[in-house]
Amino acid sequence: MLPEPFTPQFLSQLETLRLRTRKEFLGSQSGNYSSPRRGTSLEFADYRRYTPGDDLRYLDWGIYARSDRLYVKLFREEVDLFAYVFVDASASMAFPSSREKFFPASHIAAALSYVVLANHDHVKLHLLGSSFAAAASPFYRGRRRMTDCIQFMTSREPDGPLELARSLAEHLRRLRRPGKAILISDFLMPAASVQQGLNLLRAFNLDIAVIQVLTRQEVDPPFARGGLNLVDSETHAEMRFQWDAGARRDYQDRLAHHNSQIRSFCHQSGIHYSLYITDRELDNFVFATLPAIGLFK
Amino acid sequence: MEFLNPTALYGLLALPLLLIPYLIRRKPRRVVFSSLLLFAQPGMRAGGRPLGRLRVPLIFFLQLLLLSLLILALGEPVFSVRASNIAIVLDNSASMQTAEGQQTRFALAQERARGLLAELGPGGKVDLYRTVPRFERLRATPLGSAEAAGIISNQEPYDLADTPTDYPGVFGQMAKEHKYDRIYFITDHPAVGQTDILRVLTVGQPKANFAIRSFQVTRSSLVTSGLEATADVANFSTKDERIKIALKSGATIISTKQLSVAAGSNASVTFEGLPARAYYEAEIDVRDALPLDNRGFGVPPPSQGLRILGVSPRPQALMSLRSLAGISLDVIAPNEYANTDRSGYGLEIFHFSNPAVLPQNPALFVLPPDNNALADPGNPVSSTIVSSWREPHPLTRYVNFALFRPAYARPLTPRTSGEAVIESPAGILAFATESGGVRQLVLGFDVFPYLGRQNLPVSVLTLNILDWFFHGSGGTGSATGEPLTFGITQQGTVLITPRDEKIALKPGSNRFSATLFQGIYQLDRGTHRELFAVNLGNRSESNLSEPTPIEVRGAQSSGSGMSALFTLWPYLLLISLLLLFVEWFVSPGRFQTGWQPGHHKTAR
Repeated sequence: MLPEPFTPQFLSQLETLRLRTRKEFLGSQSGNYSSPRRGTSLEFADYRRYTPGDDLRYLDWGIYARSDRLYVKLFREEVDLFAYVFVDASASMAFPSSREKFFPASHIAAALSYVVLANHDHVKLHLLGSSFAAAASPFYRGRRRMTDCIQFMTSREPDGPLELARSLAEHLRRLRRPGKAILISDFLMPAASVQQGLNLLRAFNLDIAVIQVLTRQEVDPPFARGGLNLVDSETHAEMRFQWDAGARRDYQDRLAHHNSQIRSFCHQSGIHYSLYITDRELDNFVFATLPAIGLFK
Repeated sequence: MEFLNPTALYGLLALPLLLIPYLIRRKPRRVVFSSLLLFAQPGMRAGGRPLGRLRVPLIFFLQLLLLSLLILALGEPVFSVRASNIAIVLDNSASMQTAEGQQTRFALAQERARGLLAELGPGGKVDLYRTVPRFERLRATPLGSAEAAGIISNQEPYDLADTPTDYPGVFGQMAKEHKYDRIYFITDHPAVGQTDILRVLTVGQPKANFAIRSFQVTRSSLVTSGLEATADVANFSTKDERIKIALKSGATIISTKQLSVAAGSNASVTFEGLPARAYYEAEIDVRDALPLDNRGFGVPPPSQGLRILGVSPRPQALMSLRSLAGISLDVIAPNEYANTDRSGYGLEIFHFSNPAVLPQNPALFVLPPDNNALADPGNPVSSTIVSSWREPHPLTRYVNFALFRPAYARPLTPRTSGEAVIESPAGILAFATESGGVRQLVLGFDVFPYLGRQNLPVSVLTLNILDWFFHGSGGTGSATGEPLTFGITQQGTVLITPRDEKIALKPGSNRFSATLFQGIYQLDRGTHRELFAVNLGNRSESNLSEPTPIEVRGAQSSGSGMSALFTLWPYLLLISLLLLFVEWFVSPGRFQTGWQPGHHKTAR
């Protein structure tokens, strides 16, 4: 049973999409994504001097007629895609509740997975968190594995703190094939930690997309005026705080600055970045925002 | 502007309590948030200081103003108009002699009174009153300021206790009769409430005090001539005290003793084997604010033993008492009683007789006639048995009531409050009363003649009765304000007061009422002197630590319709109501749901 947003209409719309990659990977089978290898697709890639033994069907007779030299046409090889979806499953993703933050993040991950599955590519899901180290699904392929994806995503509740780089390193150690990496998190951690984690993904030659998920409560905290004893959902550290209009303004400024730091790093690093506020419509985000940043073809 | 109920203004001190709800509301709520990353950054204002800057909304100031106005309204503020017809009542009771620094309370009261006179307009009139020996107006006609100031300066406090007075009623009556703009009562008692007419000006503060509550000199027993003195000392303070008490006669110290008196209680000390002196004085060695009650005076009983005046139509029956040691007896017929000098008798026995007026001396009534004031005698009963008796009691001590069987008795129905001592199945046979230190005993059977061993049960009862009256007629002396009674005076009889004032008494008088000061009064009859000890009456006057408050609520206004005061509190109340409406407009939600501090477990 698929969750609520995944209606047949929504799924059929997802089937029209295809992930876009800005890198070429070596696939395992033929597919829709270009590979650095030369192959037998219809897309022309290059010329090469004829050497004995080459297939005469690929000789370019036009060049031979003009230059009296023999060249053979080379074509791109199109392979399948390996996509890795990393979802932050730390305790902060359960604020104010899993239903309001982690589930929307999971739904984005599932929607992206379905796009991959519908194109007969491979997708692997990873949950990032301290309490379940290196929790990763097997590679799924084919749209019938969508339920497995959903099942995996809902198999664990967000919990514990997250050290992004360390957790990613744990997952990346077992990663053999390069491909498309999609990281979904609230990124409520120091910008340096985010950069460190993303650099780790870059080091593995992955084509990276980042989706930041925040709730409305995190964007505009609904605290009443007065003293607050704030408790960090991950570390349980406490801090007293005087909340008023000025403090709200300060907080929002700092959040905007923090987000802009992540966004500018992504832009500089060739990483797709998008922000999703969970009170917005999921289909609007998937079908409008994500294509706009170039995540889909 | 003045306040009729200034006590309410203490409520202003409670105004800071209004901050409490805001402080409670300000108490940090525990809120779980996804990450404190953005809060922990420098520049964000942490609220960690428990008494950090308190932020109060505008509505707080509205509430503060509202509460202040309500408290001011409770204080009953008035604008006073200069009064032109006032009355000044000076408390000149004994407690006004209490020292307050270098001055007495009465001197302070005089100063206050003179201050009030100075405020009086040029055409103003004043009536002066004092409270003791009775509440009275000092002059029949209204006085000018200067004249009144002179009279006030000549006043002095007396050694008299406050008379029980219905002050609200008295002042209300005064205001109604004389149409006073204002009545000032200057006293050392605190006041409860004020009215628009009556102002109670309190002088002095509560103080610890020690006092001799009673002092009496008595003979040790009926048959001996030895004297003993007993003093009862009260400690009106909050700590236990060891007090030295001296027994003196004039300047001669006869004996001294130490006495421990617990806080708020009494202790008594007895001096035995006193040498014969004309009078005795007990004095406690303490330095308190009221020296007056540190002394007590006593004179020895006028004669050795018990001097009895018998009034009986059957004198022979009473004559049998003469056989007893220590008893001196004079017997007269009932019709001679009115013309007989009864001074000096320790007991009057009315045997089958009844005086027209109850005697001042202790009295024994034996089978009184039907028309007496104390008891209604019932039908005669012969050979009645005693069914119950009071025990332990000095009158029933050693009496064998199993053998006690009066041949003739008339059960009594008391007409006054008293204590039934002996009862038979038919009713009360003996009951005792005691008022003002004077004992009276009414018997429904005859104990005379005294038969000694021939009728032991009745004889023992007779001796108990005589002993009871003997000890009840001790030399306690009189209290200030009570009249001294003595034998009819002759020409040239002079009474010398404790202040050495010589007052010539009219021939034929037998009492002196103006006992305004305590001490020894001497009645100089020319040939000999009789001494009377007078002590401060009503020793509760000595309790300076808890003066009785004067309730003045309900004292009526003059009714002239011309009050010297303009009452403001209704207007303040109106403004408060308007402010309440303003507050409701500012914050209507609070009125609909009540105040509820916001609790957020998570920031939803």
